[in-house]
Amino acid sequence: MTTLKNPVPKKVNAAERMLNLLALLSVRSQPITLRQIRQELRGQYSDNEQASRAQFERDKSDLRDLGIPIETVVLGGDQAGETAYKVTRNNYELSDANFTPAEVEALQIAAATVRLATSESEVALWKLGAERVKPSIGPRVTIGFSDPYLDVILDAIAKRAPLTFVYKGDERVVDAYGMLARKGFWYLVGFDHLRKAQRVFRVDRIEGDVEVGKPKSYTMPKGLNIAKAVPTDRQMMAAGDYEHPTAKVLVDSTLVRNVTREFGREAVVRENPDGSAVFEVPCSNNYAFRLWLFAMMDKAVVLEPQEVRDNVVRWLDELTEGA
Amino acid sequence: MAKKRAAAKTASRRVGAKRAAAKRVAGRTATKRTASTRTTSTRASGKSAAKRKAGAPRRRGPRSASDRVAGLLIILPWLMKRKRVRLSTVAQQFRMSEEDLVADLQMAAVCGVPPYTPDALVDVFIDDGWVVAEIPKLFSRPLRLTSAEMYAIIAMVEAAQRLPGATSRSALTAAVTKLKRLAPDPDETAVMIDLPKDPLLEELQHAQRESLELRIAYFNPSRSETSNRTIRVGKIFSERGHWYVLADDEKSGAMRNFRVDRIQSIDRTGKVYDQADVARRAESEADRDWFGDSLETVTLRVRDDASWIAEAYPTVSRTKNRDGSIDVTLRITTEHWLSRLLLRGGRNATVVSPAKYQGLTAATAAAVRAKYR
Repeated sequence: MTTLKNPVPKKVNAAERMLNLLALLSVRSQPITLRQIRQELRGQYSDNEQASRAQFERDKSDLRDLGIPIETVVLGGDQAGETAYKVTRNNYELSDANFTPAEVEALQIAAATVRLATSESEVALWKLGAERVKPSIGPRVTIGFSDPYLDVILDAIAKRAPLTFVYKGDERVVDAYGMLARKGFWYLVGFDHLRKAQRVFRVDRIEGDVEVGKPKSYTMPKGLNIAKAVPTDRQMMAAGDYEHPTAKVLVDSTLVRNVTREFGREAVVRENPDGSAVFEVPCSNNYAFRLWLFAMMDKAVVLEPQEVRDNVVRWLDELTEGA
Repeated sequence: MAKKRAAAKTASRRVGAKRAAAKRVAGRTATKRTASTRTTSTRASGKSAAKRKAGAPRRRGPRSASDRVAGLLIILPWLMKRKRVRLSTVAQQFRMSEEDLVADLQMAAVCGVPPYTPDALVDVFIDDGWVVAEIPKLFSRPLRLTSAEMYAIIAMVEAAQRLPGATSRSALTAAVTKLKRLAPDPDETAVMIDLPKDPLLEELQHAQRESLELRIAYFNPSRSETSNRTIRVGKIFSERGHWYVLADDEKSGAMRNFRVDRIQSIDRTGKVYDQADVARRAESEADRDWFGDSLETVTLRVRDDASWIAEAYPTVSRTKNRDGSIDVTLRITTEHWLSRLLLRGGRNATVVSPAKYQGLTAATAAAVRAKYR
């Protein structure tokens, strides 16, 4: 074997050198210095001291970017002042989840059913030892995940690092609590230091850059339900200060099912023989109410209160005259 | 060992010099990771992050060293768990070209620890179209999940759990429990996917599973009418907050999308159909542009409280004007659909072109106004 002592070719590429460096640092029980590394990986780093230092720094930073922490130790004794390096496998390797084959399969099907259009979800599957599969039957959901900030925000949530960004023209500092995907949009829920209250932000409406602050700057509120923190269309209609909180609306039979689905059976105040029904729905927020009402066009008519009915007539008259 | 090396070499010669710039997930991982490490008190520029984003066409040219290493650190443990996998299967799974994959595996096969004797190298080789990684020595354990990966997979699986008719529910629940143990904060659900619910979903799924032909009453808002149709379910899917069923529609003789919340009623006809055939047609249909380009395009100018129009529908183009308004061009299915949009947009949505629709808002408002006499 002595003749094979250094079979590594003179010219190795950077990827190969990185893998060899990682292998070396993870098998050694003691930290080793760059001098020792160069000796062990002979021919892989430049012979020039300065150039090899630059190569090593680049490799080290690339590995750290991959989630592999490289520990540094400043040595004492006859190597006093020299820095030594080490990698502890337990610090970057995934501990075994011990999934059964049935569980892996269930994960694969779940991931194929609700698909996040992002590499994160695929990489997660692979790391867990699972694979991408294509289901032949059953419902399928694809959630867009293409916003450039999503992974930055997710990382900030995990680290409890506040985000700074411009939203509706104002700079906000937000303790990010969580994110919700609903109806094709991503929402960020967090504590807005500018408004001094919990607020919801549409991620795609964030203007410009997102700056991430110091980790562990805040704690999560206990018992926060992200889904409930983001108001639904129905809640939006109730979120206003209009003096009439609800209105009674006659809905054509073709849309009764939809409106029932949205507001529940309890919103039905009268069912007519022709299949139409009268619903009592929130209207405190005039704008949200109008959007909802006009989506049904001539298949929904406000009955009372008279003032709300008058408002609708006025809106319609304005649009008719506007022509 | 010598034989193994030779095999790897042969494989690489066979694939030749053609280097396709394949979409590489492994590569994307590396670049994205770079974006997230920049987060500690530095600015993550939206623009440059977007350029590196998943799904964006990859730049042609050699892959970076860090991309290749990132990929291998995911692929190697995955292979060692399976020991023997077809080369083509691995390439497909990791969205790589076979030549890139072979090059990376070949490189990994000469990596290891000094003195780089065969027993100190990564044990992977290619044997007649198969990738073999039988002895897990180096790089046998996967990297930890990043927070984004962890949140993403937990959110996906939990959303799937809430869907009606999910199969192997107990296995999934057990998997989620184990998965959450790996998370830094197992009690917390910081990322959620909210899926629309629909009571008819279960019946549609059942019909798909059992290949049962259905008779539905369907409300078409673009024409404002309800019609009875006989359908054979090909695909059930959700998009932008609505459930759809892509089905073979007897009336039109073609595959058609039906929005589930517009289905008024469902009955079984008693007939069964060829599921495989309908599913195949559904697949090929799903790849097509929903609306095609035969439809009319309309340009609207929207501002203030009507700006949502620019975001709520797929648009052909969008231009921001100096006064803050947005000119948005969209394809419309019917005039009725446009009139509904205009009524909802109100005074802050106006038709730029074609001119024939410029009076549509007023006409629509007048028709609705007639209901209040």
